[in-house]
Amino acid sequence: MTDVLPPASHAGVKNRLAITLGHYSSAGAKLENQDFHGALQPEGADLAAKGIVLCLADGISTSALGATAAETAVKTFLSDYYCTSPAWSVRTSAERVIAATNSWMHAQNRRVLGPVPSDSERERGLVCTFSALILKSRSAHVFHIGDAQVARISGQSVEPLTELHRVDLGGGESYLGRAMGVNRAVEIDYRQVPLVPGDLFMLSTDGVHEYLSARMIVDIIEAAATLDVAARIIAATAQAGGSGDNLTVQLVRIESLPDGGIEDLVGAETSLPPASVLAEGQGFEGYTILRQIHSGSRSHVYLACDDASGAEVALKILSTELAEDPAALSSLLLEEWILRRLDHPNLLRAATHYRARRFAFSVSQYVAGQSLHAWMLDHPMPDLATVREVVKQLASGLQALHRREMVHRDIRPHNVLLDRDGRAIIIDFGSVQVAGLDELAQRPLEAAFAGTIQYSAPELYLGYPATRQSDLYSLGVVAYQMLTGHLPYGPRVAAAGTRAAQRKLTYTPVMHYNPDVPDWMDAAIRKAVNLDPARRYGELSEFVVDLTKPNASLAPAGLMPLFQRGSVRAWKIVSGILAAALLASLLTRPDVAGPSPTPEQEIIP
Amino acid sequence: MSYLAPSEFVTKLVDAGESKILMSTKDTLIRAYMAGATLALAAAFAVTINVQTGQPLAGAVLFPVGFCILYLLGYDLLTGVFVLAPLAVWDKRPGCTWNGVLRNWGLVFVGNFAGALTTAVMMAVYFTYGFSTDPSEVGQKLAGIGVARTLGYEQYGAAGWLTIFVRGMLCNWMVSTGVVGAQVSTSVSGKVIAMWMPIMLFFYMTFEHSIVNMFLFPTALMMGGAFTLGDYFWWNEVPTVLGNLVGGVTFTGLMLYSTHIRTSPKRQAAGLKVAA
Repeated sequence: MTDVLPPASHAGVKNRLAITLGHYSSAGAKLENQDFHGALQPEGADLAAKGIVLCLADGISTSALGATAAETAVKTFLSDYYCTSPAWSVRTSAERVIAATNSWMHAQNRRVLGPVPSDSERERGLVCTFSALILKSRSAHVFHIGDAQVARISGQSVEPLTELHRVDLGGGESYLGRAMGVNRAVEIDYRQVPLVPGDLFMLSTDGVHEYLSARMIVDIIEAAATLDVAARIIAATAQAGGSGDNLTVQLVRIESLPDGGIEDLVGAETSLPPASVLAEGQGFEGYTILRQIHSGSRSHVYLACDDASGAEVALKILSTELAEDPAALSSLLLEEWILRRLDHPNLLRAATHYRARRFAFSVSQYVAGQSLHAWMLDHPMPDLATVREVVKQLASGLQALHRREMVHRDIRPHNVLLDRDGRAIIIDFGSVQVAGLDELAQRPLEAAFAGTIQYSAPELYLGYPATRQSDLYSLGVVAYQMLTGHLPYGPRVAAAGTRAAQRKLTYTPVMHYNPDVPDWMDAAIRKAVNLDPARRYGELSEFVVDLTKPNASLAPAGLMPLFQRGSVRAWKIVSGILAAALLASLLTRPDVAGPSPTPEQEIIP
Repeated sequence: MSYLAPSEFVTKLVDAGESKILMSTKDTLIRAYMAGATLALAAAFAVTINVQTGQPLAGAVLFPVGFCILYLLGYDLLTGVFVLAPLAVWDKRPGCTWNGVLRNWGLVFVGNFAGALTTAVMMAVYFTYGFSTDPSEVGQKLAGIGVARTLGYEQYGAAGWLTIFVRGMLCNWMVSTGVVGAQVSTSVSGKVIAMWMPIMLFFYMTFEHSIVNMFLFPTALMMGGAFTLGDYFWWNEVPTVLGNLVGGVTFTGLMLYSTHIRTSPKRQAAGLKVAA
């Protein structure tokens, strides 16, 4: 983690996620303990971004490898979960890790047992149940496969948050319906529940919860001095109640919760005072301001020189109006947090160096170049290859964002820089929506409407959240505008705030403004900017490919009405010639051209 | 009270201009209608004060309340959009064209006129007990204003027309400065103070304001002012609108845009370092 934690004096006053743990595991009546459990309670940025993990696994008793399977599942989960991107949601992170562990176990089993093992052979491999409880911000996330249990204990009741994946054969016989390592893909139950301080959760294997009533569990916990003691007594009571299985219990009590905001992540920086407008030559926080790059009603961006390293950086501060706005401040600080997690040639990079700060601002790499907006004004009719290249690069940058479960939400020509090598770089990340952070705090959608509104997808005006398809729409509009200088639905998409109003918007084919564009490229753009997000491309890469070569499945090529298809200029020329001919014929008419001599006049001298 | 840096509030003006051009017809008309009606009411208020106190300064000092009300409520005056809308086109905002600007101006003109006329009719009823008596003192004063500022100009011919045009220019120089004033501060009190000063100035100087006149002259006609509708349009409204347009665009819009958005590079004095 590259984040620098806030100074202790600041951190002390803030609420944080704190828990009390208790756990116990024993072989019980059996010889070997095939259960395995673990918990990890990280500090600092990991605590905010990924949360606290508790998990347990129960190795299948028919297999000699049951214990190994359980240990592998738990240890892998604890280490790999914290290696996933902090931008990912808890669900994505955990499910990816579980799926990977499952397929590794499955592959091991197949290697040993052959491609098509019988049911009895299958039961001898690496097979186990797996249940995890992840506490992040103000929510608990439950992941579950098999017949262990995660339960919430509130008052006198024990509420199971999971169901047993068990198939009953009758006569007391049953087998595990779902487990890790059995199939190539594993279906994982997921559930999210809100947390309140004082919440108590119990994770237990089937040897425990099947032999105890809710009443007994509650009484034991109430009577016990600590949760560790409670866990031990619960296990002992289950064994005394007739359990012949391994016994594992984990108890966790929520002592305090964080405020649930991005402050949990970027630390006390949100309480830093805003910087005032800077001047050229001014020294600021170890940087020297060289010149102003951008100045607007929302922010100011300066080219600055890092006094320590001599590197040129772009330094961004909030405008006077937004300086007091906590949401704007969060966006500014998050922008740098996001940059630090991205590494892609078409995305702006964070500045390499980080120092503690006295004012709130963000620093990034400086890219010398021209905004796409300015470039478009210089090149009103660019060649198709250039447009394709820019769109391809932007799509590539967006894909990198989307893989991290981020949605940009503000793709527009002002937010794209073309550097001196012709590379297109997405520069502004102030509106980016990050799945992993939305679990901390829902940020206002307003950010999506920052700046110009012509590139936001129409579904956003209906109040729907932004998706990857919204970014695709924006990219489609940028492509359309590069080719034509116009907007696909005219300037009034933002004014259409209802579905009915949106249905009245009509798409103008690219060829209407630029007859040089082939109709199959128009078909691709038309699909990318479809008003209905479900009818756009599923993937950005499909759009890029369809811009490069005709896609036969798209486009009623050649079926367009004549007046839409033809070049306006040709019709103007034809009309001009006809008008000229008409004028000529009028002027040469006998009654207009003046009296021509009549025979009588010729006779008269 | 926070004061915004010029580059910040001018960008906000451009943003405002963009949103005016892209606004739906319905919203444009409603906002223009209410702006016209509100400003007309403030004009009636100011004339009433002048008649009752006999002191024109008193009316001018208090007239800006109408302007402040309508700007705080987000309504649009023709004089304001004359300045705001072209900024978005100059800044090459996507979808902002001169066609869009003309459409906006046309709609706002219609809305303002309808609003001012509504107030005029209501005030006429008020001044005459529903057209059953002679106009009150204020009504007679209004009729007098109507004659003086149409036929009064007409007697000077082209020079009179030019005078109205120039008074219109001076008017919107000040009024649009009020529009800018609404953006230089982030607090309501700051906005009100910044709007108040130029509006007070224009009203006391009897500069010609197209929307105020949309109230004054129809009321004057209803109060029995001895001039025709044709006189009103040709010897007042038309030159006033044109003067407002030229004054607002040149003195305010173009000036702010060319210095605060298209800022020229600083001159470098030889041997001097730029001080922080």
